[in-house]
Amino acid sequence: MSPVSATYWSIPGYVIFWVLFAVAFGLFLQRFYLLYRLMRLGKQENRFDQIGQRIKNMLVEVVPQWCTLKTVTRKDLAGLAHALLFWSFSLFFISYIIFIGLAGGFGLSSLIERTPFETVYFSILDIAAVLVTLTLILAAVRRYIIRPPRLEPTAEAGIILIMVFSLMALHVLGVGFDHAARGVHASWPPLGAALAGFLSGTGISQGTLEAGYRWVWWLHYLVILSFMVYIPRSKHLHILASLVNAFFKPLGPKVALEPIPLEALEAPEGSATFGASKIQDFTWKDLLDFYACAECGRCHVNCPAQLTGKSLSPREVIHHLKEHLLETGPGLLANKTDASPGSQAEAPGKTMIGDVVTEEEIWACTTCGACQEVCPVNIEHIRKIIDLRRNLVMAQSKMPESAQLMLRNMQQRGHPWAGVQSMRLRGDWTSDLELKILAEGDNADTLFWVGCTGALVERNVKATLSMTRVLKAGGVDFAVLGDAETCCGDPARRAGYEFQFQMMAEQNIELFKSYNIKEIITTCPHCYNTIKHEYPRYGGDFKVVHYTELIADLISQGKLKLTNELNSKLTYHDPCYLGRYNSVYSEPRRILQAIPRAKLEEMERSRDTGFCCGGGGGLMWIEEQPGTTKINQMRIEDVIKTGVDTVVAACPYCLQMFEDAIDHKGIKESLKARDLVELVEAAMKQF
Amino acid sequence: MNTIVCVKQVLDPEIPPAKFKIDPEAKQVIPPAGVPPVISVYDERAVEAACRLKDKHKGKITVISMGSAKAADVIKHAISMGADDGFVLQDPAFENLDSFGTAYVLSKAIQKIGGYDLILCGRQAADWGAGQVGSILAEILGLPVVTLACAIEAVDKKLKVKRMVSDGYEVLEAPMPSLVTVSSEIGLPRLPGGMGLMMARKKQIPIWKAKDIGAEPSQLDKAKAHTEVTGLSVPTRKTECEIIAGGTPGEAAANLALKISKLI
Amino acid sequence: MDTHKGVLVVGEITEGKLAPITIELLGAGRKLANELGEELSILLMGSKAGGLGQEGIAYGADHVYVAEDTLLDQYNSEAYTQVAAELCRKALPSIMLLGYTDVGCDLAPRLNGRLGGGLAMDCLALSVDPATKLLVSTRPVFGGNAQATIVSKVARPQMATVRLKTMPPAERNDSRQGKVIPVEGKIDPSALKVKVVERIKEETEGVKLEDAEVVVSGGRGIGSAQNWGMIKELALALGGAVGATRPACDEGWASVSLQIGQSGKVVSPKLYIAVALSGAMSHISGHLGSKYIVAINKDKDANIFSVAHFGIVGDYKEIVPALTAKLKELKSK
Ligand SMILES: Cc1cc2nc3c(=O)[nH]c(=O)nc-3n(C[C@@H](O)[C@H](O)[C@H](O)COP(=O)(O)OP(=O)(O)OC[C@H]3O[C@@H](n4cnc5c(N)ncnc54)[C@H](O)[C@@H]3O)c2cc1C
Ligand SMILES: Cc1cc2nc3c(=O)[nH]c(=O)nc-3n(C[C@H](O)[C@H](O)[C@H](O)COP(=O)(O)OP(=O)(O)OC[C@H]3O[C@@H](n4cnc5c(N)ncnc54)[C@H](O)[C@@H]3O)c2cc1C
Ligand code: SF4
Ligand code: SF4
Repeated sequence: MSPVSATYWSIPGYVIFWVLFAVAFGLFLQRFYLLYRLMRLGKQENRFDQIGQRIKNMLVEVVPQWCTLKTVTRKDLAGLAHALLFWSFSLFFISYIIFIGLAGGFGLSSLIERTPFETVYFSILDIAAVLVTLTLILAAVRRYIIRPPRLEPTAEAGIILIMVFSLMALHVLGVGFDHAARGVHASWPPLGAALAGFLSGTGISQGTLEAGYRWVWWLHYLVILSFMVYIPRSKHLHILASLVNAFFKPLGPKVALEPIPLEALEAPEGSATFGASKIQDFTWKDLLDFYACAECGRCHVNCPAQLTGKSLSPREVIHHLKEHLLETGPGLLANKTDASPGSQAEAPGKTMIGDVVTEEEIWACTTCGACQEVCPVNIEHIRKIIDLRRNLVMAQSKMPESAQLMLRNMQQRGHPWAGVQSMRLRGDWTSDLELKILAEGDNADTLFWVGCTGALVERNVKATLSMTRVLKAGGVDFAVLGDAETCCGDPARRAGYEFQFQMMAEQNIELFKSYNIKEIITTCPHCYNTIKHEYPRYGGDFKVVHYTELIADLISQGKLKLTNELNSKLTYHDPCYLGRYNSVYSEPRRILQAIPRAKLEEMERSRDTGFCCGGGGGLMWIEEQPGTTKINQMRIEDVIKTGVDTVVAACPYCLQMFEDAIDHKGIKESLKARDLVELVEAAMKQF
Repeated sequence: MNTIVCVKQVLDPEIPPAKFKIDPEAKQVIPPAGVPPVISVYDERAVEAACRLKDKHKGKITVISMGSAKAADVIKHAISMGADDGFVLQDPAFENLDSFGTAYVLSKAIQKIGGYDLILCGRQAADWGAGQVGSILAEILGLPVVTLACAIEAVDKKLKVKRMVSDGYEVLEAPMPSLVTVSSEIGLPRLPGGMGLMMARKKQIPIWKAKDIGAEPSQLDKAKAHTEVTGLSVPTRKTECEIIAGGTPGEAAANLALKISKLI
Repeated sequence: MDTHKGVLVVGEITEGKLAPITIELLGAGRKLANELGEELSILLMGSKAGGLGQEGIAYGADHVYVAEDTLLDQYNSEAYTQVAAELCRKALPSIMLLGYTDVGCDLAPRLNGRLGGGLAMDCLALSVDPATKLLVSTRPVFGGNAQATIVSKVARPQMATVRLKTMPPAERNDSRQGKVIPVEGKIDPSALKVKVVERIKEETEGVKLEDAEVVVSGGRGIGSAQNWGMIKELALALGGAVGATRPACDEGWASVSLQIGQSGKVVSPKLYIAVALSGAMSHISGHLGSKYIVAINKDKDANIFSVAHFGIVGDYKEIVPALTAKLKELKSK
């Protein structure tokens, strides 16, 4: 007989059961509804396309815990523990529905209790309970004793640990008392049975055992209910929100920025918003992201800005924004109901840029994507940071002087390299070369898009010239734009100067179309990413290939033969915008492996865990926070650890960053930075 | 307060010296390919000065530029920074005018616009750099003029202007309306914000011809030009670095000092 | 047109003496006057201008016009314009010369606007066309990338402002004869619409990097905060500003706001002195607009020499102090 069917102080157990449930669920719903309404403060964004794919994502990521398992590294096994906890806890969760909800609340105990099903299920739960307890101990040790940098030893985490432990304990206690009270002598479920055996041995009266069972049962029930009430009020909201977040995760490119909608252009003067200056300027998906954050700190320990001592921590950004939402949101909701809908009521108190997230933090991000890559709950950090930049740049006109210099140059001269034009012009690299330079009326299928850096910066021009020779050797029929090329717009976009980017994108697309271009080869991963993933939003659908993809292809087709021995030990650095952003990991390595006597050594941080060179996100031109380590100087240490003589880059920024770091360290003699295409050229049969 | 700013579109000063080519016959500069013209440096700062005044005192900024139809680009740039309106003054009769002719055309346009409290010019155009259009314009319009301004404020319907002099600066008080020419010390021009870029994108820039502003053909007669460019040449320049020698480092340094003192 | 004759110099007075630029103008004016076979005069303004009459004659003027009025003691745009314009209308000079100084930059164009003459600013050379007897002024255009010659065929006076130190100063000859002529006519104070509220002298040490005519930059090769003082002293001696490369800022020798280059400031002074810095692209892109670049580096292959106009190969610790000393010496002369 279930404790629910008993009567307490002449109140039927069922009434108590359901009243307690109603109160707890009410509290749960109340919170849930508040969170929902807060989320709806955000701007519109459509994430309801491809529902099937989305459901699949959700199931594939969360149920098998792929989300956390993917973050498991030799050094950080916590993901495994989390998965164990998740699976175990899911079993418990289902058991609550069956054994407490259905059996107790709905009075179906006769159908469920004392069945073999129960015995089997409880036996499994026993095992799970042991595993969970072990994991909890591990977690507690990590949080409060080892204290890895990614985890803050918060009280919240402690409460949850204790709650979960009590759930396990109460479950086992319940089974023990039940068996003992009924005098069942079984060996399954092992823990419950063992406890029952022990209780029976103590000679406690049956009445006491029965009462004990009832109290344990009700206590268990109360803890479960408080768990339900507590979860949406704590960081463990992520348990629910991450599931939803997996559903809404971006389906296209991994790091996607939302264009500022054209309606903003038509908005009456003064009312247009650029980027985010207030919490409600984010989209609802951004706000959902805040709920999803488990504060696991994986982003924190992988962020190059954080690791080099800058004030930026992606975890803190997300966490602080979440707190800001919870603080100011209710006030906004209240205002919203009395004011006209969509009113721009200013949230009182803190200003988001400055008090919640500082300008230094906003400008420290290299948009390397390390945070998004490791985040188990699909949070999109980068677009929030860019939204904050957009506001600073386009609405407040506040930015580091170096950023302004770069952006002004973008605006007036169509490239980010302020000052460089006094030295060379965009088309200069083409002089004395036999190239097909597109002029009005021409047509070309394949365009070699050089990029600002490859055309304007001396060191990178060398790689550009290598590239043209390799393309020719490989029999690729291509054309170039020469002095008519402008910037793809990437630096403007990452620095928050969205309209400038939009104008450049539109201009370039028109230009490409006027020459009937079908395919675009790029050397710069930033151009590659921009043209490939961001131009389609503006009507530019071209086939975009990075040279590493193209050359790898040419080699496998036998069109390029790498026969010269290089006799070199080298390591390859994955450019963020090629690797993490576009998952081009194997092609560059295939090329290197095709070079005779070039020995590839991998750095510890490589492929998707690769470490930024420091040059992305506009940071090529924006001064890093004074007094902190330069990111490239930290990365060069990774290179040095491998003991190679050459570090290979496939990105013009990386190349410059490495040269600078090598210079700084004064190890020019022992370590060289080369662009991959330069090595290909050196290994190519000369003719 | 209402401000009119005169801005000129010029060949980008930021080109490699080796790329600087001229046509000595036509006395023209041949712009290198792929280098779009820009707003003249000081004129952009004049727009900045106007915007700062507008930030404080509201009012309207009108920008005018005499040149080719492409000058609409610099007007749009000024609008993106915060100007409200702009006109391009383009007419075959306006081509290759001297400073008086330029000032005359600008004065006609300014009279047509009217209702101004302040007229701003750059101290000098970044191309021909005649450095006089502003002052001549003031004389034509009969306005007080302050040159080489490094800060402009409006206090009690008067202008307070800081003017650069070699050993410091002077603070001048000028009535409204006046004409002020702006020097680079006024500070970096702002990066056009989102709102500005939007406005500039939408704006149509009207073109005013000679007859639109009532410019007399007699005043634009090149035969009567006050000044004439009779020759244009590119000075021969050494490309090699001249290494200054000396018996001792001290001697080399002394020789270098002599060179330097001649350069500045 | 023929009614206009002679060369008129508008003089400047500093600390009770003829300013150096005025003496240079008298030198240039004398030559032009001789070539034309006409007379050279000078206009001096200020309540004590009369006392300099003889000096003007000694430096080659045939006539010295003096306008004595306390309103003229300090430069006042409208007052100076009134007096000079008045004189021109009477004396009808054919050529009028001013200095390319903050006075000349203001006065010359305004005067020109009032008189309807023909003006060339910032001239590097002046000559008389032997055939037409017209003044030919050579001036830099397009930021010094080109030079133009300017002629006024009909407009009078033919005006030019001359850059400091481009023309040899006149020789003093106290035995020369000439006339000192007071300029009649009072200034109408009601026409002085622009009031001078105050004049502030600023020490040159505070020159802003972006505006400085001279920038002295140091790099990592300087080696210590103490030695960084040499950079500051050199800059001070030249009345210029201090700049730095990124490593020098990182070391804390210079504040980050002085960083020049790709992630710092872009400067385009007349003279850029690069000391113990290698000339990385990301640095030099910040100063390539400079008119002259001087490099001091112990490595003769340093990239900075590829963009410099002048250079010394050697240890800056020996060169910079000597350079500073010599410059100070030259300045005091
Ligand atoms: C082929 C050719 C022939 C030329 N022939 C002559 C000649 O015979 N005689 C001669 O004197 N010059 C000649 N010039 C140069 C002449 O066009 C100058 O532009 C003119 O003298 C004005 O001087 P500036 O532009 O240097 O202006 P500055 O006096 O240096 O300009 C000061 C300020 O005036 C304003 N301003 C100047 N021009 C404009 C403009 N167009 N629109 C709006 N605002 C403006 C700006 O605010 C500027 O900062 C010639 C140029 C060319 C291309
Ligand atoms: C993204 C990025 C942005 C950057 N932005 C900037 C920027 O804005 N500004 C900037 O400056 N740099 C910048 N850099 C750094 C730049 O690439 C160079 O590393 C830096 O400019 C080199 O500084 P330096 O010339 O002082 O040092 P070094 O290259 O180390 O040069 C020192 C020089 O001093 C000489 N020297 C040493 N001792 C003596 C002596 N006793 N006498 C004479 N000469 C001596 C040496 O021969 C050497 O040439 C940036 C780099 C990157 C990657
Ligand atoms: S994108 Fe890179 S730099 Fe920016 S917050 Fe994420 S990890 Fe840090
Ligand atoms: S944002 Fe993602 S990775 Fe960072 S703390 Fe939150 S859950 Fe972890």
